Amino acid sequence: MRKMRSDRLQVVFMLCLAFVTAGGKSFERKVAQLLQDKTEDPKCFVEGKKDLTCFWEVEEERNLHDRYTFMYSYENEKKMACVVSSLSLRASNKTVLFCKFPQALFFTPLNVQVFRDGQILYNRIFNVENVLLLDPPSNLTVMSSGKEGQLNVSWLPPPLKHMDDSMIYEVRYAVEGSHMGKVEKIKASTTLVLRGLQSDTRYEVWVRVKLDGVAYDGYWSSWTDPVFAVTVPTDMDPLIVLLVLFIGLILCLLSLTVILSHHKFLLKKLWPDIPTPEHKFPGLFTVYKGDFKEWMSQNNGSMWGRSVHVYTEELPSPVEVLSEVSLTNYSTSPREGRKPAEKEEGSERADSGLMGGWREPPHAQWLMEQLRALQENPESFSQSTLLQSHDTYVALNQNSQHVQGDTERQVDDVFEETLPLQTLFITAGTSSLSASHSDLGSLPQSSGSGRLSSQSSFEYPNHTWPPKGPGYAYMAVADSGVSMDYSPMSSSSIAELGKHGIYTNEYKNEIFGHKWPFSCQHIESGY
Amino acid sequence: MQAFSGLVSVLIVFVWLGGNQVSPLRPICDLRVLDHFVREARDSEVIMRGCRGGCGVMKSYFVPLTRVDFAVWEHIDVQSQAVEVQTGLSLLVQALSTAKITVSNSPLASTLDNNISNIHSLGQILHSLDLQQARSTVLPDDSAPASSQMQEVSSLPELLQVQSSFLRGKVRLLLSAAPACQRQNS
Repeated sequence: MRKMRSDRLQVVFMLCLAFVTAGGKSFERKVAQLLQDKTEDPKCFVEGKKDLTCFWEVEEERNLHDRYTFMYSYENEKKMACVVSSLSLRASNKTVLFCKFPQALFFTPLNVQVFRDGQILYNRIFNVENVLLLDPPSNLTVMSSGKEGQLNVSWLPPPLKHMDDSMIYEVRYAVEGSHMGKVEKIKASTTLVLRGLQSDTRYEVWVRVKLDGVAYDGYWSSWTDPVFAVTVPTDMDPLIVLLVLFIGLILCLLSLTVILSHHKFLLKKLWPDIPTPEHKFPGLFTVYKGDFKEWMSQNNGSMWGRSVHVYTEELPSPVEVLSEVSLTNYSTSPREGRKPAEKEEGSERADSGLMGGWREPPHAQWLMEQLRALQENPESFSQSTLLQSHDTYVALNQNSQHVQGDTERQVDDVFEETLPLQTLFITAGTSSLSASHSDLGSLPQSSGSGRLSSQSSFEYPNHTWPPKGPGYAYMAVADSGVSMDYSPMSSSSIAELGKHGIYTNEYKNEIFGHKWPFSCQHIESGY
Repeated sequence: MQAFSGLVSVLIVFVWLGGNQVSPLRPICDLRVLDHFVREARDSEVIMRGCRGGCGVMKSYFVPLTRVDFAVWEHIDVQSQAVEVQTGLSLLVQALSTAKITVSNSPLASTLDNNISNIHSLGQILHSLDLQQARSTVLPDDSAPASSQMQEVSSLPELLQVQSSFLRGKVRLLLSAAPACQRQNS
């Protein structure tokens, strides 16, 4: 029996000690907290519906109780003394004296006074319901709500009846280890949902409490011990995934439709065909299997018509000298003949002023000799090299046109430079030569090699030149495509032309049948 | 026929009773109404502190005791609490009305009117909670305060302070502990 009683007493004692110790710790924490507050001395707080305490800081460590006196009085009541106790704060190494009131009356003014050595040190009047300093909330719980970035926080308020509807709370939360925290205020509720948090992150949460200041007022309680919780990791909303897939599918179908409808156009742009000339050569590759000669022969007319069209667009260019006549058998004789002929001509020139500036080309005498020979021996002459184009040449000189006067000398010079085309016409005899010279001079035209046109307005004084064959009067023309008109003209018109030096002759060439080495080919090509 | 006439007479009685008596109010358990009154009482104190001229005369007023010892209060039954609160409210109304006569400052007079109106509303609230006891507990001005639950103040600022403390204290405690509201919460 005794042993059981002693055991029970021991247990009770231990519990009381634990409670007091816990309470003491809480009290010390509150004193330490309020000590930093800037309220006037003595600092007073009430922990609930009772337990009113006032304290003040002291520097001396000795004889504290003797020097200080604490007096208080409620309204319309007498003053009462309070027992002063001391407390040493381990954290801040400070000493405080405090008074624990035996009774706490709310809603009435309270007057407290502190005396030191009989002298009033502090004097303060306040209402007790305005100095509430509660314990922090208990049973703080933080759980994941299952939704992304959210945490459910709940706690229990301090067990104060009639006051819990006047309490406000502050919830502080931060990523574990981070010093940047956010605070949420909440009234009249002990639960809170934290939103906008990072996914899959560990958070710390604290809570503290205070009275709202309407009926009761006081100080913020200390923070609770932190509670940790982890937010859920990011989860892809299945609806969003489905929508994304659906939109992607639609886009694919649309692009496919566009590509299929315009595939030809796209193929042409991205993979152009190698151009082939088939359309320009109809039937070349299909009918003639690429045989260009065959195809050409079949399509000759149309082809040449086109090329002629091309050629005719070219501007006419002046006729050029074909080649120099190479003197062979007749090289010496013409020269011999020339000299006296030149002399004769020179005298004739001097005699008749008709010649003017007409200068006979050096081969003129030779040609005349050849022609004379031909007249005498037409058969042998037919084989003369006169027929050979490489032995012949054309001296291009329009001085032969001018028959009249010295005044035309200047013009002759001009003509000599500009239009150097000259027809050499050989007549029998010098007299005829002179006459023919005049004729020649009056003849600006150059007859084509070969047969002359019957429309020619030549004046053959002797009419010894039957207009037949190409032997007696011809000219090899190196025609590079020029079109010259040798239309029949009267002597008067010729004279006029001689004056002006205008070539308006149309060259009618009938030498298609002949095989001239190169000039004819040129001509052929030109016509 | 007789039954019918009896029924009609009963109906008439009910109508008369209903006309005479105030219809039962729904219990007003929301304390935010009281908090609003408390703030307006505090505003009167602030206006009083800033009043310069025409702020009433020095006069004694009988006001209720406002102090609350929780250890004692919680052991008092609700009805006693209700009586005390009701008495105190009556005293306050009387004192405020008396003080208002002497006030010429318009803001102060206006806020005093507000306070008086609020206290009347509190009476209605208590009635809704079925806590209103005697209809009239108004004491004549010249009668001495016999109750120990009264005290005397000598100025309007003190009167306003008492009003504020009373509303925040005893009135609020009573309303928060009203059985009608407890029944709703539970």
